[in-house]
Amino acid sequence: MNVAAEASRPPGSVGPSPTGLTILALLCGWLVPGLGHILLRRVRRGLFFSALVLGSFALGVTHEGRVALRDERQAPFLSAMQVVANAGVGLADLAARHHVYGAVTYALPNDPGAPSYEAWLGILRDRTRSVASIYGTAYLWTAGLMNLLLLFDIWDIGRGRKQ
Amino acid sequence: MGSHVLHLLLYSAIVAAFFGALLRRRATDQWKLGASIWIAMVGGTLALAYLMYPFPR
Repeated sequence: MNVAAEASRPPGSVGPSPTGLTILALLCGWLVPGLGHILLRRVRRGLFFSALVLGSFALGVTHEGRVALRDERQAPFLSAMQVVANAGVGLADLAARHHVYGAVTYALPNDPGAPSYEAWLGILRDRTRSVASIYGTAYLWTAGLMNLLLLFDIWDIGRGRKQ
Repeated sequence: MGSHVLHLLLYSAIVAAFFGALLRRRATDQWKLGASIWIAMVGGTLALAYLMYPFPR
């Protein structure tokens, strides 16, 4: 990428087509918060955002935030949106799901008779009953949504619309 | 950490720092925007809580 050409471009103008590096940065930025910025040589910015997102995520996990599961039987759209907010944080969400449910799962089984249905629903309800859970959920979902917003920032940097 | 107020302060700080850094380029502007967001969130919540105080459930 020609840095001088990027710097001389008027703000708001559309840059060149996304390069492979931008696509890679988007993927890495989603999987590991901050890594996308670091790949685009915005190291301080990447580390700062990484600390914010992962800090918020850690607060969410320690406060028993709701690690959402899509429920086909009750509010499937809403529960799917909750899963998206959780999954926004990338690999850390996988680790949280494994820690909470003992498996990397994103949805309750369609069959209520399945053994995992009652088990996972029980875990979800127990966590929600905790006094701190409402705070934990806010931290968790905020971490995921912040990281998703950061993908737009990575895109703008990769396109040369932002320094 | 069970204090509502501490969570309010901390959560507002995280969100304010995030948007301050995301939306502004210069450090001074980032601090200004971050402080504005933090004050708006904390102040707005306290104002709402104060207004609701005479109307318990």
